[in-house]
Amino acid sequence: MKIAGVLVTLLGFIVSLLSLHLNSTGVRLSVVLFGLALSLFGIIGVLNRAYLKNPIWKKG
Amino acid sequence: MRKRLLKLHCLLLLTFLLCATLPSFSQSPPASAAASTSASASKPITETDLANTPVPATDARTKGDADGSLTGTASDVSVSDAKKGITIADLANQVGQNKIAINFVWTLITGFLVMFMQLGFALLETGLARAKNANHTMMMNLVVYGVGMLAYWLIGFTIQMGGVGAIANLGGTPPLNAEYAITLFGKPFGLFGQHGLFLMHGGTYDVGVMVLFLFQMVFMDTGATIPTGAAAERWKFSAFIVTSFLFAAFTYPLFANWAWGGGWLCNLGANFGLGKGYVDFAGSGVVHAVGGLSALAIAMILGPRIGKFTRNGRPQAILAHDIVIVLTGCLILAFGWFGFNPGSTLGASGNGGLRIGSIAVNTMLASATGLLAAMLYMWIVYRKPDASMTGNGFLAGLVAITAPCAFVNPVGAVLIGLLAGVLVCISVSFVERVLKIDDPVGAVSVHGVCGIWGVISVGLFADGKSNYGGSWNGVNGSVTGLLYGDASQLVAQLFGVATLLGFVFVMSFVFGFVIDLLVGQRVSAKSELQGLDLPEMGAVAYPEFELKAEM
Repeated sequence: MKIAGVLVTLLGFIVSLLSLHLNSTGVRLSVVLFGLALSLFGIIGVLNRAYLKNPIWKKG
Repeated sequence: MRKRLLKLHCLLLLTFLLCATLPSFSQSPPASAAASTSASASKPITETDLANTPVPATDARTKGDADGSLTGTASDVSVSDAKKGITIADLANQVGQNKIAINFVWTLITGFLVMFMQLGFALLETGLARAKNANHTMMMNLVVYGVGMLAYWLIGFTIQMGGVGAIANLGGTPPLNAEYAITLFGKPFGLFGQHGLFLMHGGTYDVGVMVLFLFQMVFMDTGATIPTGAAAERWKFSAFIVTSFLFAAFTYPLFANWAWGGGWLCNLGANFGLGKGYVDFAGSGVVHAVGGLSALAIAMILGPRIGKFTRNGRPQAILAHDIVIVLTGCLILAFGWFGFNPGSTLGASGNGGLRIGSIAVNTMLASATGLLAAMLYMWIVYRKPDASMTGNGFLAGLVAITAPCAFVNPVGAVLIGLLAGVLVCISVSFVERVLKIDDPVGAVSVHGVCGIWGVISVGLFADGKSNYGGSWNGVNGSVTGLLYGDASQLVAQLFGVATLLGFVFVMSFVFGFVIDLLVGQRVSAKSELQGLDLPEMGAVAYPEFELKAEM
């Protein structure tokens, strides 16, 4: 789960980077925003959720 | 009698007004004088003019120079040949050296101010921690300076600045000319610098390079000290040292190279037509967002402090042990920021150096609105003007204005600070209540979130009026944001944000995760409950206090 979170976050960066191949500013903007959303989802939705599965306050 | 007094008053008032206006008449030269000054200014200087320049006699100097009129004259210009006397070449060299000397002194002194921010961070973080962890928190803030500097000297500076190319304000820095680049989408993609190892390799034992190293080192150290706040009260000291070393050697320098050192992000304008490339004047992204995202990664790995959340996951307030030193730290940081932002011109003479006043004023304004916005937000929402959040709002405004300070007008600065002050309050609550991440000082929100806001705000508020030598990042013209007509600048800024979230965070997380596997990031529960001062440092900060250990 943690590795998946890291990979999704990294994928967001790669998607943004690939938009450099495009020419239109508007399309680049859309793709970068999508990449950003993907990275945020990787950090908040996947990686952090993995850490919240067994948090310290539920132990002992 | 009354009439006489009235007349006297009127007379006095008239005399006062006359006196007050007189200097303004005397200060304006007549048109003919101005014309003759202009004519003599355009006349070229000859060797004869120089030879005839009056210099004070030696006898006159031996009697002292009380009014300063005899010190600093043509006799102080260095000459290449004493027999020939002063020549035009001597004069030109002296002017050039004076320009660089001004810039060296400016950059060094502002660098010293940034170094002083270390104390601000130390006080802020220690005050927000509990008394039982004061020694440990203070030591992290001290040791990060030494560890970070060593790592940066060994390799970090090379990666960041080894290929930056000419920095005109510091005399050209010609040895820093080796950037490693690959080709991607048919364009060069600068990845890291190669000159500067130990400040010896590739001719970098150089006066200009030394000034640049000092200034960049204290910036890196500001970034390196941010995670110590988010990880306070539970971070193993040995793990902190390894993490700080890796941050200073690799994480920070790599992004800083891409943004400032001639790497691919700053060349997005020249290579891909995106505004003036990624623009981050003094480091909302490079310093604060990198530090804030590293802090997020480490806080996530460490988990919250014992007692921060109840069994059903509700956050509990853990009170700061000394709000006085917290706010003292905030004020020291704000003072140091006058080095951080205006100093990033790397000079006060040439290439837009005179914008330093505008940069300093923007910095002040954003800090004021950040402070007021956070204070009012807390007052309205929680019924009290919370001191630590007001301090965080103050810093949030400063963090946010760090990237755009050189490119926006005062109204833009006020708005950027205002939004940062509100944003930091919402973000602190979100991180704690929704993400359930324990960040004792709010570092993720202040530096990470508001750092990213600062980066984006360049793409919105840059007014196109700045001029730092006619171009920025190799693209002619001034940096102009979306609100002033250039949407592509905003896209360039978002590329920076995507890199921060998708690459810098991942790199920090992977380093932190590996360190956790190898040496463990978190102290034992027993040490944490006792307070880290004794188990980790061997001495408590306040031996005469009676501290209560939690059970």
